[in-house]
Amino acid sequence: MPKSFYWKPRHSVLFGVMLASAIVVAAENTAEEPLDPSAVRPSDDQSLRFHVSREQRQWWAFRPIDDPVPPPVKNTTWPRNEIDRFILAQLEPRGMRPAAAARRRQWIRRVTFDLTGLPPTLRDVQTFLSDTSAAAQARVADRLLASTSYGQRWARHWLDVVRYADFHDANPAKRTASCEITEAWRYRDWVVRALNHDLPFDRFIVHQIAGDLLPIPGDREFYEDGLVATTFLTNGVWDRGDADKEKIVSDMADDQIDTIGKAFLGLTLGCARCHDHKSDPISQEDYYALAGIFYSCHMLADLGAKGGEYHVNRVPLAPSAVVARYNEELEKVKQVENELKELDKQSPVPAKDDPRRLALIAQVDKLKEKLPPAPPLAMAMQEGGTPGGLFPGIQDVPLHIRGSYTRLGPVIPRRLPRFFAGASSPPITSGSGRRELADWVASRDNHLTARVIVNRVWQWHFGEGLVQTASNFGLLSQPPSHPALLDWLATRLVRDGWSLKKLHRRIVLSATYGQTSSVSRKQGVRDQENRWLGRFSARRLEAEVIRDSMLFVGGRLDLELGGPAGDDLNIARRSLYVQTARWNRNNFATLFDAANPDSSVEKRVVSTVAPQVLMLLNHDFSLDQARHLARRLLDGSFPDDPARLQHVYQLLFGRPASSEETAIGLQLLANSNQPGTLEAWLDLAHVLLCSNEFVYLD
Amino acid sequence: MATQKMTRNHPPLSRRNLLAGAGGGFGLTALQHLLASEVAAAAPDRSAQPFAVRAPHHTPRAKRCIFLYMPGGPSQVDLFDPKPRVSAENGKPLPFEKPKLERTKTGNLLASPWKFSPHGQSGIEVSQLLPHLASRVDELCVIRSMVADNINHTGAALQMNTGEQAFSRPSMGSWLLYGLGAENQNLPAFVVVSPAAVFQGAQLWASSFLPSAYQGTLVRDMQSPIANLRVPSDDFKRQRNKLDALRQLNEIHKQKRVINSQLDARIATFELAFRMQQEAPAAFDLSRESKTTHQAYGTGDPTTELFGRQCLLARRLVERGVRYVQLFDAPVNNAWDHHGGLREKLPSRCAAVDQPIAALISDLKARGLLEDTLVLWGGEFGRTPTAEGTNGREHHPFGFTMWLAGGGIRGGHVHGATDEYGWHATHDKVHVHDLHATILHLMGLDHKRLTYHYSGRDYRLTDVAGQVVQNILA
Repeated sequence: MPKSFYWKPRHSVLFGVMLASAIVVAAENTAEEPLDPSAVRPSDDQSLRFHVSREQRQWWAFRPIDDPVPPPVKNTTWPRNEIDRFILAQLEPRGMRPAAAARRRQWIRRVTFDLTGLPPTLRDVQTFLSDTSAAAQARVADRLLASTSYGQRWARHWLDVVRYADFHDANPAKRTASCEITEAWRYRDWVVRALNHDLPFDRFIVHQIAGDLLPIPGDREFYEDGLVATTFLTNGVWDRGDADKEKIVSDMADDQIDTIGKAFLGLTLGCARCHDHKSDPISQEDYYALAGIFYSCHMLADLGAKGGEYHVNRVPLAPSAVVARYNEELEKVKQVENELKELDKQSPVPAKDDPRRLALIAQVDKLKEKLPPAPPLAMAMQEGGTPGGLFPGIQDVPLHIRGSYTRLGPVIPRRLPRFFAGASSPPITSGSGRRELADWVASRDNHLTARVIVNRVWQWHFGEGLVQTASNFGLLSQPPSHPALLDWLATRLVRDGWSLKKLHRRIVLSATYGQTSSVSRKQGVRDQENRWLGRFSARRLEAEVIRDSMLFVGGRLDLELGGPAGDDLNIARRSLYVQTARWNRNNFATLFDAANPDSSVEKRVVSTVAPQVLMLLNHDFSLDQARHLARRLLDGSFPDDPARLQHVYQLLFGRPASSEETAIGLQLLANSNQPGTLEAWLDLAHVLLCSNEFVYLD
Repeated sequence: MATQKMTRNHPPLSRRNLLAGAGGGFGLTALQHLLASEVAAAAPDRSAQPFAVRAPHHTPRAKRCIFLYMPGGPSQVDLFDPKPRVSAENGKPLPFEKPKLERTKTGNLLASPWKFSPHGQSGIEVSQLLPHLASRVDELCVIRSMVADNINHTGAALQMNTGEQAFSRPSMGSWLLYGLGAENQNLPAFVVVSPAAVFQGAQLWASSFLPSAYQGTLVRDMQSPIANLRVPSDDFKRQRNKLDALRQLNEIHKQKRVINSQLDARIATFELAFRMQQEAPAAFDLSRESKTTHQAYGTGDPTTELFGRQCLLARRLVERGVRYVQLFDAPVNNAWDHHGGLREKLPSRCAAVDQPIAALISDLKARGLLEDTLVLWGGEFGRTPTAEGTNGREHHPFGFTMWLAGGGIRGGHVHGATDEYGWHATHDKVHVHDLHATILHLMGLDHKRLTYHYSGRDYRLTDVAGQVVQNILA
């Protein structure tokens, strides 16, 4: 892992020299076994200094992806597709049986929340329940995958992995700093669009690592999506500026390498910043071969003055003529504004109503009126090292001893990680090498990429991945519970043209996914963690889904796509569009365990704490949604309270209320200070929004 | 349900433990009784019960910690580390090689404008700027040999609070809650009090990859300290009715879902929240303190009012079992960052905190709380013995001062030293990692064993470094 690095070493220089020579000595002496020339060949620079162990070479995730035949099973009636045979083949020898199928109303609720992050509407439920054909579930799945809510929901999963934030500062008035990430939202919108259009996942990868280098469509000057997608690389966390500029540059490259490793490859590449990776076949040289790629491109327009802030690169998303005209007009405004400033430097300062001043003010106003709209900007990555930094061009960089730029070792040619890409992959000689890196990551020959994304998608459907550490497939991780299934899915993904929608469809239409979560204690205790998937794991809904559902049942949710994030929790937009700010984590989303936007998050934790409940009990947002829901129930559509109660149960939970529940509800209405009024229904609506059933999905 | 791999063993949950520390009336007596009866129960599932009390690794010397944080970097050369040689060579250049990386051009030596004199039985020298604290110096263990790695506020403050300079890591308070749980379930267990926005923001009290339950609760406005706590008192009955109905509905819901312990936990959480609404406002209500106490803390004097109120609040919180309280002396951002105006601004900062801190130590001692409450003072780094401009000092992480007092600390002791120019720590260096290791040790935790498995490896507050500083322990 990125060990904190000391710009002022804690150890003497002598120690550093000793350490450096120790590395070489160790490298020459510590072979666990002779190098297998078929696995790794020494490169022509003859600098291969670390050795790949048998265990590393044979590690399942580093081996080619298999195309296993779905195994034979005893129970041949349960499986609905191949997934089920892989699952059953693990249950049967353990003497376990799959759980019964979930009730149909349970299934549509589950799949709707899962694919769109929203509850089903009453009509959706009715349509499904009355569709008795064999294709009823497939019709629902197809409808949900085609809805734009799908992209909004699944973009949020991906944004967790890429440490996405809308802003650093939560306060809109303070977002003037040159390091602020005000353009990040365009990336979020691109992710939503890409998912909704089912952009093949390999293309999705290439866009994010090297989108600015993709071919430009014939009639355009630039490729907008390509530029915007590279915000993946630029939306990270590092020091805001100040004095130690070179440390910032090296931290940025590290963040980019680390995030690419975790997000796409399931490798903790960042661990090799200061030393060879402790457990995986990634040498420190491999790291600096990759670092050279990121030192050869930049996300900062400039580093800023010592002690000051840097400037984030902002690339205009408009034809150069439009940009030039805008800059010209803006320049005119600035000129007159400068003249105004000059006026204030005169002595005596001319009065407020001095005719010269008034004339200039009028001129500024007029020019501003004529000013065309500012061209949209993207926080894009561009070729060439950081201007003004130690490595401003396209170049190889030296190995940083113990990760510190103050102690440089030999220069390492830019290339792909030797063990994984093969020793024959040539050094990179033209351009930064991001294109080569992207193509290799997104290649069907890469043994990790397809497995990693298939496992993530599985985790987002079931709550737990087949590999439990979704961002680490290295030797420190637990092997998958169902290795054959993982490989089968990965192979299918590639054959399906890297279509995620086809993958979702396979999963949600399986009998495995369709099991009930309610099983007897005896059954549950057999496999407490549900590793063998003999039932569905009930789960608490995520922060965003809880908030969206509250708005949804009150009839207020705004499903519109795109645009900058709002600052206010009380807006009616989906939570995807409520700001995530890095410097303020006192908010609804964080309270309910949303991803920490400071680093790549492979899986959210679920906590149950009193402040969540205080928020639901007392926050205006919560009370407002209860009020909207109560109003909806009292809009005259229903003859009496029992009818209202049945309706609200259908709306919130997709089922009728039992007689016991009806009695409790009616009792609460009767206990109110103002029975028969909106206030009484407000209380009941509030209770139901706070209930476990509202936030837990079966 | 996402669960985290815990590297400490955790037998199955017990509901009894969840409710411990939360029952009955909430007078202080009842509370102290609860604290006294705290048992090191079997560690329950953190996901369902993040704050259940957990057994420490060894017998703790302190159960709570107060970090008096002076953001910006207080000047040790003017407060705790007298340098006659600097005074003698005032205006001359530093007689050795300047650091490779400097923020601004290193100036010439600047004599402290203030006098130092020995105090207490220990005779520790303290600046004339801190007369109140000087009278408590026998309680303090002054570490003059602190070293940190980063020269900028952001990186240095991150390191001081999380151990890491650049990347997101859990803060010390989050680690303490993760390791020990909370003594009082009805209050937030990790409270950060900062009147002004903090430069580095939430990263300093973030839980990072630990569950978000362990992040610090930020109190900006001491009048309304905790979010969503306000309910008009006449609504308690209405709320009780709602909670009763809710409980019944949740019990029905639970019947068919036998294997989900989180449902039980959430049901209990509503009751905890209901009690928190009643207890928390009282904990934060300083008007319940006597006039004498207010006078001691200086809350009536405009100079000391702000930090006096913060210190008094800290005492009320630790008294109620809050695990970790961090006070930012922050009437404005980075109030101790004296690049210029040192001769005016440093005395004014000292005047603002001196009496309140001394009062806090005396008060904790008088109530028997100092025995097992650790008090820590300092910033992210110190300041150069050389001048910046004519009336300022630069950032200085190579040798600076922090002090500790209270539970398990050797009072009236000076640990470590800087060279005669006050530039480098030369004897018994204490790196930030060592300080963290020592604080965890005092709280009953072994910094090498307090780990969290994340993204393929075990993480610690001290990364791969840190040694407990035995010499500062009582």
